[in-house]
Amino acid sequence: MHPFDRAEAFLRDVSETSNESELADALACVSRELGFTYFALTHHVDIRRSPENAVRLHNYPGDWVEYYDENSLGVSDPVHRASHVTSVGFAWSEIPRMIAMTAKDHEILMRGEGRGIGDGFTVPANVPGESNGSCSFANPTGTAMREEDLPVAQLVGAFAFEAARRLWRVRSPLIYPLPQLTDRQRECVLWVARGKSDWEISRILGIQHETVIRHLKQARERFGVGKRTMLAIHALFDGSISFNDILKR
Amino acid sequence: MVSFAQSIPVPFNLPALREMFEARKRVFVDLLKWDIPVLEERYEVDQFDDEDATYLIVPDGQGGHAGSARLLKTTQSHILDTLFPELCAAPPPRGPRVLEITRFCLGRQLGADARLETRNRLVSALVAYALEHGIETYTGVAEMGWLQQILAFGWRCRPLGLPCIIDGKMLGALRIDITPETPGLLEANGIYRSAPLQRLEFLEAA
Repeated sequence: MHPFDRAEAFLRDVSETSNESELADALACVSRELGFTYFALTHHVDIRRSPENAVRLHNYPGDWVEYYDENSLGVSDPVHRASHVTSVGFAWSEIPRMIAMTAKDHEILMRGEGRGIGDGFTVPANVPGESNGSCSFANPTGTAMREEDLPVAQLVGAFAFEAARRLWRVRSPLIYPLPQLTDRQRECVLWVARGKSDWEISRILGIQHETVIRHLKQARERFGVGKRTMLAIHALFDGSISFNDILKR
Repeated sequence: MVSFAQSIPVPFNLPALREMFEARKRVFVDLLKWDIPVLEERYEVDQFDDEDATYLIVPDGQGGHAGSARLLKTTQSHILDTLFPELCAAPPPRGPRVLEITRFCLGRQLGADARLETRNRLVSALVAYALEHGIETYTGVAEMGWLQQILAFGWRCRPLGLPCIIDGKMLGALRIDITPETPGLLEANGIYRSAPLQRLEFLEAA
């Protein structure tokens, strides 16, 4: 079978799928064809939806999953963090070159190995203003990846994530319209993200101190958060402001 | 109101077009570092910017350029068949009802929220243009990050081949099928913005 035909067969299987187990079966099947033993498709975090709705599909060994969950690795997993700094699939062996690794990170990768998870390949799936996630393929310790199959894994990962995203959307629909800031609120939030106090923001924008306090209070209410740091994070997450806006000089 | 332009006069004397070619230079040459020609150090114009190209232009609030895209006929040479044939497992779809989307451009001056809004208006305009002009399929080349976003718009996309690393970037080719159901699919993702399309008129050269 031509490598692209594998990808196409997978896409045919999942294009209309309406349930997770079908998607998981299709992923298990295509992973095997690509010479991988394990797959894991996860939604890393979505602060606008309840976490219990996030999809996690995988066929990792049970004891590894237990360890992973007990230690709440989902939030700090180095594989997930690395997948936020690129849009192209990467081998796990490249992670130390992509993000600053702590002692704990090295330990996680080693523990995974100890439980039989060797090298893997992760396809990031980052949709701005929305879900971050990834689709990983992995092998037992000591089994090498087949270099020539990685472009297929890249394509399968991208479309698998989109199929999963469709399932999430049905299960926990976003309520439109999404919270939206006014231009003035947005400007104030931008300066919050740059670390300015309300008083400083009022000087910068040439408006009353009380006005800034009011704008930020209303902005917090729109996102349903109580603290200014969370306000900045929500605004960044949903695309009301961007890293470029904040870091621009 | 989103505009579309066809058979553009060269040199392009309309402000809306000049701004588009300037914005393209700022995005594709200055920001993305694509190795493509620049005219008069200001305008990004290549061999496909000819009388057969169609442009969709989303204005900003002041009548300037916020975003734009170029549509190429697939009945003659275009980007996918001339520059990136290796991205297609089989010959790419072509014909009078197939157009290639190229130079999808969002102005660099836009803040994050205006950027998403402009993107949504431009994607919606692409669908409206196709439905009004009997176009059934769009094709296009995208870097992987952008490709994931294109899938997430919710319209029907299929890959044309395996992604490849070309000049250090991983690129993939897609086909997007447009039907009367497409606006509803975009709507379900909060993307669709219904807006009339207006043809830009050019004064006949004297």
